[in-house]
This record gives sequence, structure tokens and C-alpha cells, in this order.
Amino acid sequence: MRLPWTGLGWLTASLIVAACSGGKQASSGGGTGASATSVVELMKARGLSEADVTAALKTYTPTGKLDEYLTFASGGHSGQVIVIGVPSMRILKYIGVFTPEPWQGYGFDDQTKGLLASDSRGRNLTWADTHHPALSEQAGDYDGKFLFIGDKANARVAVIDLADFTTKQIVSSKLIGSDHGAAFVTPDTDYVIETTQYPTPFDGSFADPKTEYKAKYRGAAVFWRFDRAKGRIDRDASFAVEFPPYTQDLADAGKLASDGYAFFNSINTELSWGGNMEGNPPMESGSSQNDMDYLHVVNWRKAEELVKAGKFELISGMKVLRLDVAAAEGVLTFVPEPKSPHGVDVTPDGQDIVVGGKLDTHGTVYSFAKIKALIDAKQYAGKDDFGVPILDFKASIRGQVELGLGPLHTVYDNQGFAYTSMFLETVVAKWSLKDLKVVDKVSTHYNIGHLTAAEGDTVSPDGKYLIAMNKWALDRFSKVGPLLPQNFQLVDLNTPKMTVLYDLPIGLGEPHYAQMIKADKIKAVDVYKPGEDAVTSEISPNATEGGKERIERRPDGVHVYMTAIRSHFTPDVIRVKEGETVHVHLTNLEQAYDATHGFAINSYNINVSIEPGEQSDITFVADRSGVFPMYCTEFCSALHLEMAGYFLVEPK
Amino acid sequence: MRALPLSFVAAIAACGTAAVASDDLVGPSHPVRPAACVDVAADAPLQATIDEAEAGATLCLAPGRYPGPVVIRRPVTVWGPPEAIITSNGSGTTVRLVAARAELLGVTVDGSGGRYDKLDGAVLVAADDVVVEGVTIENAVYGLLVEKAHRVRIHGNHVRGGTDPSIGLRGDTVRLWETYDSEVSGNLIEDGRDMVVWYSRGNRVTGNLVRRGRYGTHFMYSHDSLVVGNRYLDVTVGVFVMYSHDVTLRRNVIANAAGAAGIAIGLKDSGTTTIIDNLLVHDQVGIYLDNTPQGPAATVAIRGNQLRLCRAALVFHASGHATTVSDNDFAGNDAHSRVDGGGDALDVTWSGNYFDDYTGYDLDDDGRGDVPYELRSFTHVLIDRHPNLAYFSGTPALAMTDAAARLDPLFQAKAVLIDHQPRMQPTASAAGHPER
Repeated sequence: MRLPWTGLGWLTASLIVAACSGGKQASSGGGTGASATSVVELMKARGLSEADVTAALKTYTPTGKLDEYLTFASGGHSGQVIVIGVPSMRILKYIGVFTPEPWQGYGFDDQTKGLLASDSRGRNLTWADTHHPALSEQAGDYDGKFLFIGDKANARVAVIDLADFTTKQIVSSKLIGSDHGAAFVTPDTDYVIETTQYPTPFDGSFADPKTEYKAKYRGAAVFWRFDRAKGRIDRDASFAVEFPPYTQDLADAGKLASDGYAFFNSINTELSWGGNMEGNPPMESGSSQNDMDYLHVVNWRKAEELVKAGKFELISGMKVLRLDVAAAEGVLTFVPEPKSPHGVDVTPDGQDIVVGGKLDTHGTVYSFAKIKALIDAKQYAGKDDFGVPILDFKASIRGQVELGLGPLHTVYDNQGFAYTSMFLETVVAKWSLKDLKVVDKVSTHYNIGHLTAAEGDTVSPDGKYLIAMNKWALDRFSKVGPLLPQNFQLVDLNTPKMTVLYDLPIGLGEPHYAQMIKADKIKAVDVYKPGEDAVTSEISPNATEGGKERIERRPDGVHVYMTAIRSHFTPDVIRVKEGETVHVHLTNLEQAYDATHGFAINSYNINVSIEPGEQSDITFVADRSGVFPMYCTEFCSALHLEMAGYFLVEPK
Repeated sequence: MRALPLSFVAAIAACGTAAVASDDLVGPSHPVRPAACVDVAADAPLQATIDEAEAGATLCLAPGRYPGPVVIRRPVTVWGPPEAIITSNGSGTTVRLVAARAELLGVTVDGSGGRYDKLDGAVLVAADDVVVEGVTIENAVYGLLVEKAHRVRIHGNHVRGGTDPSIGLRGDTVRLWETYDSEVSGNLIEDGRDMVVWYSRGNRVTGNLVRRGRYGTHFMYSHDSLVVGNRYLDVTVGVFVMYSHDVTLRRNVIANAAGAAGIAIGLKDSGTTTIIDNLLVHDQVGIYLDNTPQGPAATVAIRGNQLRLCRAALVFHASGHATTVSDNDFAGNDAHSRVDGGGDALDVTWSGNYFDDYTGYDLDDDGRGDVPYELRSFTHVLIDRHPNLAYFSGTPALAMTDAAARLDPLFQAKAVLIDHQPRMQPTASAAGHPER
């Protein structure tokens, strides 16, 4: 039944309120003599609706006011992490992670060059495909201490310390060639999970998929052991669980009720490997022929015990729990899941696991209790060709929720609702976890991929805000040529009906996942300890105190112990001979917040950033004679332009 | 949303300018007993009988139950009345036709195994030139599966979906996989999940009645497809076309795709598509275009359709392009057209459509209005931002805000579409009717 007069009343009232309150604000607010209808006139002039103004009021953050949440988004191809304030949607920082980033001098000094070269598969990798950031957790809640992120292209995982928002470590295992289910942390950040995407032979050898795909190609879940005290991954204490070559996809760690377990999707139980010019169907057809793939359920605590008991095989430097052991010992169990599954997202209480099938119209809600009971009773529907037990699909689920077209990923709020991104419908569907019913949908633009909500994948989500991470933006922004930005849309969860509040274009890289943390959980330092190396977080042996600057000539070259403080470098002239190796050990003596200096040498591709207190080493060969200006690249003071000197190279 | 009885649909259709077609186009057929055939008694070992039959032989089953599974490895015809029932033993697929030119006619196939991950079905076709006709399928997870085959004929069968109360847990009723130049015609398909046509080409889906399901027919990477004269009733989505081109939908009736995600015809990232003479009635969304057409010379033609009693008749997910909308009837819809995301359909060619809310005049009496039809709606903007207001659309409340907004336009009234030659009277008289 329709209620026309209620509707009319509501609308008329709101129009009047908008007009009147606008007038009042203008006249009482500043007393600037603005006309009584200035807000309304502004709305007219800019073509804004009442809803637009409401959205503006919900997001506008005046100068000096801080955001309630910080979002850490993957930077996609840029290999970086983007830090965004919520609700203002202001971009606060790009953190260099897997690729050189000139502003931070990341990948330009010896420390960060070494970091990028570590586990880089013997190549100078200049890009990454960053996918899923994972904030460190304690008891399943974000603790604001560390951030991990995976590089799908090269199977790398990075550790970022949120004390200074810089990358500290990059690890990679030669066991696997690409990852997608990375990074996900166990509830106390004991392990950082990295899972293969495309299977390859474990030992890096050649094997023709036509004859050896099933025999030699493998996937794996790598459990990187995180040493919280050191703030680094401990490679030697890490291990992997072998998977069949089913092309594993996303992952999530169990929590509370399901603590000790981890869950992984797969998309290719058909063992398709392509070959569309070799008489095979194309990969996308071959890999979606079966109506169901397998959710991988891994008992990682059990795996950890078995590895400690020595039941592993060392392959490509990684302790690997082989498939036969994993299957026999109850470490690995399969549960069928609807075709082309994508997200696998454990509910806040850890009792259910929600899987979205891209080509399904339902989300499937698995019951961990049911899965556990079937595993404990060894009640299997069968085994796959690799001997892994398979549970009955219907016996493993709590139910299905009819979501609409193309469910992908799910996050949660504090009111018992789940939010699922719907790729085909390009909406966010809000649904009740209790009775598995959709209660609301909001349209997003366009082609939503991941979504993130305030602490929405922890044991205690906050609700409040959600960001739809859209892959397309075709008519959202001014035209910028054929390559368009991605579009982050902030969605208000503070009202029963979801509304889109703000569009943020992301103009560098294609972000995948993001996480949103309460801003006050992050306790970042203002300055480094004097002489601190930002990669090791220790005082550098090359730290130089003011007054102790010097140039030393040693067998391995010229060592320049240099300092920077507004507004000079000491020394400000460096004299070397052509062909000499130069080691600049540069310390920023500042302890003033935000007093960053840069250091660059013309023509030598030397560029570093030294934050207050930071120490940086630069090693290079003076292979060209001549006169090369060096200067500070940060506008640090009124005499910034004067913060310069010469690098003088005498010819041989 | 409650389901509409067929009679109501027929009544709605009758609102048009001609009577709705009778139902005899669709539904199961019962192939007559072949003249020359080898009788098979009910207690005969069916598998051995088939294996021993000569190529080209016809076996006629007597009424009775025949334990499966059965694999037809030879080019033979197996005929039976509906009372000849091939039964599942509780696992795997019950009847598999793996020889070219094998035929399964008239029998009932009862049940399949229960493994979703193994695609346990009633009937699997995995060979060229196979015919499955007049077969009744029930109690199976998956119904009729066709894989990697050419020129298969699936005709006049009655496929009853799985028994699970949750539709997501029923299997597909008919599934064409890497299947070419084949035909799915005149089948009665009910209470199942989806009919899917994936990674296939050149197939014809005609004269079927599909009711109470999820995807009426779902095309993915399946080009040169024809969808003609089908009825899709009480399905979540009538026909959904993804990543396919050269798909033609003609003279179908799609009614009561009325759930939250209800769409009669949806096109996503597809190429040239032709939508002619369809009757789309009482659907949440009549036609949904998402990034379609795509491709250099791709076009969408929407012609001669009736779009009636839909929440939104023609929805563009982003601003429309390379699309012609001509000679359709838009009547009784809450919104005749909608463009998501604040875009418009001004680059779409609108011509000769009938809109029931057209208030223009026809002084030269040529059947076309003398002033353009413009959908230029303030409420459109408001509903786009406050979808809950769609509840009030068509009511005096929103009409008055429309009027108030025109008097004192606080908000820019946004043009959504302009038809320069709107019709004065409904025109799409062939919509939903059989070919003549």
C-alpha cells in the first residue's frame, strides 16, 4: 500500500527545513551579511540536491580536523599502499613497498635498494601487483602495529611497520610463482598466510603441462611465521602446506570458534591449463566446467605440530607438508563450493564462512561447527584424485542467501549484517546473518570488486562506513583519456538505508582489497631516533653526530660522513677522483616534526629522503668527471634553495 | 513479491492490441512408438541390450523400471513411454549418451547421484547429433547436460528441478557446455535452478516454457544465439547475456521476474543484440543494459516490444549508446526508463515508441505526437539518490514535487530520454506472439 500524503509531507518538510536551516546557518554562523538564502542559492548554483548537501556534511572535514578511520588500500600495479582518511576520503600517503618510490627515496639508498633486491627472484623487479593488505591483529582485532601485503605477480609478501609507515621486510618463497590469497593473518598474527594462485612445479623446474600438469604442478599455502618482538617474518620458522593444482584463490583465517583453521577457495578443479591454440578449450571455459570447486579447509595448528615433529620435506628452501601427509593427518579437507567462487570471508564470531560465487546468485554460508563435526567423524562424501577427503556440500552449510547477481566479497558490521559486493549487479547487498535475507542494496559505479568496512573483517566490526572499490569509472569524473582511474565510493552505514557519500578516484594502479582501522589505534612516531636506519629500525653504525662530519679514504673508496640540518649539508663539497667508489653516510640531525630533507646529486641518479633523525647510506661509483650540483629536494626552510653544494669529480 | 498466476499474465497481455498466443507452442511432446523396433521387456538387462544392439537399431522399452546407470555407447535409439522409467542407483549420472546419433525418446529418467562437485545428472549428452526428445526428468540434481557436442536436439522434454527447497541447491535444468549448432526447443522446464549456455555457439532456444527458476537462460561467451518464442515465468532473471555477441531475442514472454534482483532481459558486456517483439510484463526491470553494446560496430536494437507493469522498464547502468529503441510500448511502468549513476539515454535513438504518460497532441493526425516525448524528471534524480522513494513513484506526492520543482527548480530537472516521434497509440501488437 502506498502512502502518498506521508510522502508529500516528508518531502515538503525536508525542502522547507533545507531552505530555512540553510538561511539560519548563514546568518547566525558568521554574521558576514550573507543573504538568508545563500545555502539554497549555493545548492542551485552548483546543482546540488538535499542529499548532496547531507553527504557533504557527513564527509567534509575542516582544516585541522582529523579523520575517524584510516584505510589502507593496496596500490595495485604501483606496488605501493595507499593511506586514506575516512570519512573525508583524503589521500594521506603512498607507502613504497615493492617498487621504487622517489619521494620517499624508497629504492634509492643502500638500505631500501637492498630491501627491494631481497627475494626478488634474481631480477630488478620494477613493478608489483599488490592485492590484499592485512593489518596485524591481537585476539582477532586490529592492533595498529603492522601491515602486510602480497604481490600476486611475484609471490612476495612485505612487512610494513606502522610506527613509521615504512616497509621493513620483503619475503618470497621459490616454492610458488604467484600468489593471490595473500596476505591474511591468523588472529594473533602468529602467521601471515600467502597462497598460490597459478600452480607451477615446486622446484622451479620445467614441466610440460600437457603431460605433467597433474603430476608436477602444485599450489601451496605458505604460513610465514611472524616474530612480533622483532617485527619481522622468521623464514626458518615458516612452513607450507601442499595443495593440488586447483588454482587456489582467496583465503581467510579462522577466528574465535574456528581459530586454528584457515580457508581457501579454488577455481580450477578441472585442472585446466589453457592451450587454446593446442586443441584445448580456453582457460576460462576449461576451468569453469565443473559446477563446483573445492573450499580448502586447513587445520594449521595441526600442520604446525606436524612440521615441528619433522614430518616435512624441504623443497626450494621451504618446509613443505606434502599432500599425502596433509590428507592422511586431517590437515586438509575439501568442501564443494559453487562455481567460480571468489571471496571466502569468516564471520566476526568465527562460526560461519561466507563464500560468494561470481556466477551464482547466492552466497553460501558454511557452518564451521558442521564442517568440524564431519571432519572429526571422518564422514566423507568421497576423496579427490589426490586422496584429499571431500565433505558433503549440503551437510556442511548453514544455508544460502539469495543475494542477486555476481556476489564476490563480504564484510561485516556490528549489527549482525553482512555486506557483499555484487559484481554483475554492481551493487552492495546488505543482508542479515541471522536469517540470511537481503535487507538493502545500494548501486555503485561501476563493477565493484572488493569492499571494506570499518574493522569489518575483525572479531568486532564497527559498522559506520564502507568503501566500494569499483573497477570502472566511465562517467564519474572529467575525461582523462582511455585509461581511467578506479573509483572508491564511500557508503554510509550509519542509517538503515545505505547511501553513497563520496567518490574518490584512484589515479595510480588498480587497488584490490583495503582495510579500515580506527585511526586512534595507530601510534606512529613523529621523528626517528637520531641516526636511525629506517629499514633495520636500529641506530646505524654510520650515524653521524653534528660536529663529527668527516671524509675518510679507505681501500673500498671514499666515505663521506655527512649531516643535514636547516639549511646546509656538512660537508657541502665532496671532492673525489674519477673512478673512485663513493659512500655517502647521511644523517638528518633534525628532531623537529616534519623537518624532512632530501639529497640529490645531478646526473648521478642519486635521490634520497631523510626524515628527522634518519640515517641513509648511498654507494656509487664516480664514473663521470665534472662538476655536479647537489641539493636538498624538500622545501625545508626559507633558505631551502641555499641548502646545496657541489660534488666535484676530478678527471683521472 | 507474490507470484502472478498465468491467467493474470494472459490478462495483462490481452491489454495489448491482440490476444495472447495459446500455450500449445510449448510443453512436452511424446514421440510415437517407432515402427520398426526391438521390444525390451521390463526385466531385461538394459545396458547389455544396448551394448549388443546393432548400429542404427531402435529399442522399445516396455513400461517398468530399468535400473541405471546406463551408458549408450552405440548409435542406437532407445524409446519408451513415460511409464518406462530408468532409475538412478543413487550415485553418478543416470543416462549418458556418448555415441554420435544416439537417441533417447519418451522415457522417464528418475534421479541422479547427489554430488554437486561431480555434476551428477539425469542425462548427459557428450556426442554429436544426439537427440533427447519427450523425456521426463525428475528428482535429479542436474537435468540435461550437454558437453562438447554439435547438432544436438533437446526437444519436448519435461525437466522438473531438484527437490531441495532452496533454489541455489537445485542443479541446472539444462546445461549446454561447448555445444554448437544445437537446439533446445519446446521443453517444459520447471522448479530448477538455471538453464545455462556457456562457451557455446550457434544454438537455438525456442518455444520452451521455463517457470519457477533462477536464470531462465544464461548465456556466457555464447555467440550467434537465437532465443525465440519462449515463456519465462516467475524466474529471478529471464534471459541474461554475458560476454556474447549476435544474440537475438524474439517474441518471448517474460513475466514476473519480480524479485529483488529481478530482470527480464539483462545484457552485460555483450556485443550486437537484437530484442524484438518480446512481451515483458510485471518484471522488476524489463531490459537491463550494462556496458552493452561493446565492440567497434556493435549495436543494440530494441524494437516492437511491450514493456508493461515493470518497476523500471528499460535500465541503462551507465549512459546509453549505440542503441535504438523504436516502436515499443511503455505502459504501466513505475519508470519507463532509468539511467543509473546520474547519466542519461540521450545518445540512444528513441523513435516511434508509445508512452502511456505522453500528454502531447497529434494535429496532423499521422499517429505520431507533434511534440517530443521527454522523460525529464526531478523525481528521477531524487529516487536515484534515495532509492526508498521509488516506493512513492507514481503517487501524487512525487508528482507534486515534480511540479513544485518545475515552478521553483531547486534541482536541475534532468532529461533522461527524448523521443521526437512518439506514438499516440500502442503499436507493439506482435509482442510475445508466435511467428506467423
